[in-house]
Amino acid sequence: MTPRERVLAAMRREPVDTVPLMCQMSIGHMLQQYRCSPADFWHDVDTFADGLVRLRELYGFDGILVSLHGHDPSWRGGIASRRMTEEYEEIVWKNGDATHYLFDDLPEHIAARPRELPPVGEVSRNDLPAALDVIPVSQGLKFFIHPAHRFDIFRTLHDRTGGMYSLHGEITSPFDYYLDFVGYQEGLIGMIDAPETVAMIMGHYAELIEELAVAMCGEGIDAIKVSSPYAGSSFISPEFYAAFVLPHEGRIARAVRAQGTEIYTHTCGAVNDRLELMFDAGVSGIECLDPEPLGDVDLADAFRRIGHRGFIKGNIDSVTVLLQGTETEIEADVRRRIETGRAHPGFILSTACSIAPRVKREHVRLLRTLVDRYGGT
Amino acid sequence: MTHHSLLLILSQCVIDGRHVESEQTVRTLLGEGASPMSVLDDGLLPGMAVVGQRFRDGEMFLPQVLVSARAMKTAMAVLEPLLAASNVEPKGTVLIGTVKGDVHDIGKNLVSVMLQGNGYRVVDIGTQNPVEKYLAAYEQHRPDVVGLSALLTTTMMYMPTVIAGFRSRGIPVPVIVGGAPVTQRFAGEIGADGYAKNAVDAVDLVNRLLKRT
Repeated sequence: MTPRERVLAAMRREPVDTVPLMCQMSIGHMLQQYRCSPADFWHDVDTFADGLVRLRELYGFDGILVSLHGHDPSWRGGIASRRMTEEYEEIVWKNGDATHYLFDDLPEHIAARPRELPPVGEVSRNDLPAALDVIPVSQGLKFFIHPAHRFDIFRTLHDRTGGMYSLHGEITSPFDYYLDFVGYQEGLIGMIDAPETVAMIMGHYAELIEELAVAMCGEGIDAIKVSSPYAGSSFISPEFYAAFVLPHEGRIARAVRAQGTEIYTHTCGAVNDRLELMFDAGVSGIECLDPEPLGDVDLADAFRRIGHRGFIKGNIDSVTVLLQGTETEIEADVRRRIETGRAHPGFILSTACSIAPRVKREHVRLLRTLVDRYGGT
Repeated sequence: MTHHSLLLILSQCVIDGRHVESEQTVRTLLGEGASPMSVLDDGLLPGMAVVGQRFRDGEMFLPQVLVSARAMKTAMAVLEPLLAASNVEPKGTVLIGTVKGDVHDIGKNLVSVMLQGNGYRVVDIGTQNPVEKYLAAYEQHRPDVVGLSALLTTTMMYMPTVIAGFRSRGIPVPVIVGGAPVTQRFAGEIGADGYAKNAVDAVDLVNRLLKRT
C-alpha cells in the first residue's frame, strides 16, 4: 500500500498492511525543526508547503495535515517595518498592528485598536461577517483567508507530493467561531442567557463554513479535520454539546461526506462522556482522544464503544509522553497504543493534540520506528 | 419571610445563576436587619459551595458555573462596601497572572471569577508577566497566594523561573500553577505549592492552603 492508500483504508475501516502514522504538528514544532523566518513560514505559501513536505519526510508520516490555507501572495505589501530580535521576528503593519512571530510557538498579534466584543444577546445577523475571511487560530490570533487564493496551498502540495500521501484540510467549528466572535467567557454565559441568538450566530457561521468545506473538497484532499477544541467536558455539558455543537457540525459533516470526502472532529481534553455524541454528527472519525492526565479517554474502551462507527485517530499524549518522557517511556506507551489500535479496523496512530513545540526530533522519529516494528496487521 | 428562608432563597439564586434576584434578595435581607456577614456566610457562600460540588460531580459545567459566579458577584457588589465598613476582611488575597510569553487568559479569568465568587480578593495582573512583575505586585499587594497560568507547553517552562524568583528572595508565599498542559507531576517537579486542574479545584486548593472553608 502507498501511504495515502493506507490512510484512506483506515478512514474507511478497511484492512491495512500496517497501522498508518499521521500526526498534526504545532506551528512551534515545525519552526523548531524547519528553521526559517517565522513570518515567512506563517504567511508565505511556498515556505509553508516546503516545511510540511520536509517534515513529513523527516518523520515518515503517511499524510499531511494542512492547518493553514488562504495565504495572501501580496502579504508583504502590508508591512511598515520588519526586524529580528532574539525572542521573535517583529512585523509592524501599515494599519498600526504589530505581530511578534516567535521561533517556537504561534505568533502574538497586538492590535492597534482592540476589537470591542458585542453583548451576545444584542447580536443581530447584520453584525455577522458576510464571508469567512479568517481562521480563528488561537485566542487573539487570526489567519486571514485571501478569497482568491483560498486553496493555493493544496495545489502546491499536490505538485510536491505527487499523490503519494494523504492530504487533509482543516476547518474550524462554528462553536469556535462563535466564541471568538463574542469572547469566551461571555460566549459561555450567552449559551444560558440567549440560546436563540447563540444558535443564530452558530448557524450563520455553519453556513459559511459549509461553503468553505465543500469547496475545499474539490481540491483533491482525502479528509477534512474539524477543529473544535472547546467542545469537551472542560467547557460544556453533553446536553449543551447536543444542543449547540451537534446540529452545526452535523450539517457540515453531511455536506462534506456528500462530496465523497472523509471528515473528522478534533476536540481537546476530556471527551470520554461524549464519544458517542461526537459520532452523532455523522463524521467519519474522531481525532485527539487525550488520555489521562490531560484528558480522560482510554483507547481500548473507546474502540469498544465507538470503533464500529468510524475511525479513531490518536491518542498519544504529546506533552507528558513525547515532550517529558524518556525514549523507554515513549516506546512503552506508544507500543501499547499501537497494539490496542491495530486489533481494530479504522485506527490511525497520531498524537492526541499537536506535537508540542519543544518535543525532540528523535522522539517523533521514534514513532515511525515503533509503527514499523509493532504496527503490522 | 424569615431570615433563614431568605438566606435559603439567596443560596438557590446563586446555584441557579439568577443574578437579578440574588441582588434583590440581598437588599431585602439587609433591609430586614440581616448582617452583611450573615448574608455572605449563610447565603452566598453555601450556594457557591453547592456549585463547586456539582461541578466536581459533573452535574454542572462552565456556563452554569459562570452564571452562578455572576450572581455571586452581583450580590457582592452590594455587600462589599458594608463588609468593608464593618472591617470584615476578604477570605484572603490571591495574585494571579499568565506567565511571560503567553497571551492567553481564558483559564486565568475563570479562576479569578471563581475565587472572587468564593470570597477572595483577586489581584489580576493580566498576561505576559515576567518574574519582575509578579514580584512587584507581591510587594504592592502582599497576597496570601500567587497563581501562575500558562496555556502553552513553551510558556509553562517559565513557571519555575517565577517560583525561583520568590524563593531566592526568601518570600514564603505559596505559588500554585495551572493551565491546559500543566499536570500535577509537572507542578511537583518545578516545586510549586499546588496544582489545580480547573477553576473550581483552584478554589479548593486555595482554601486548603489558607485553611479556609
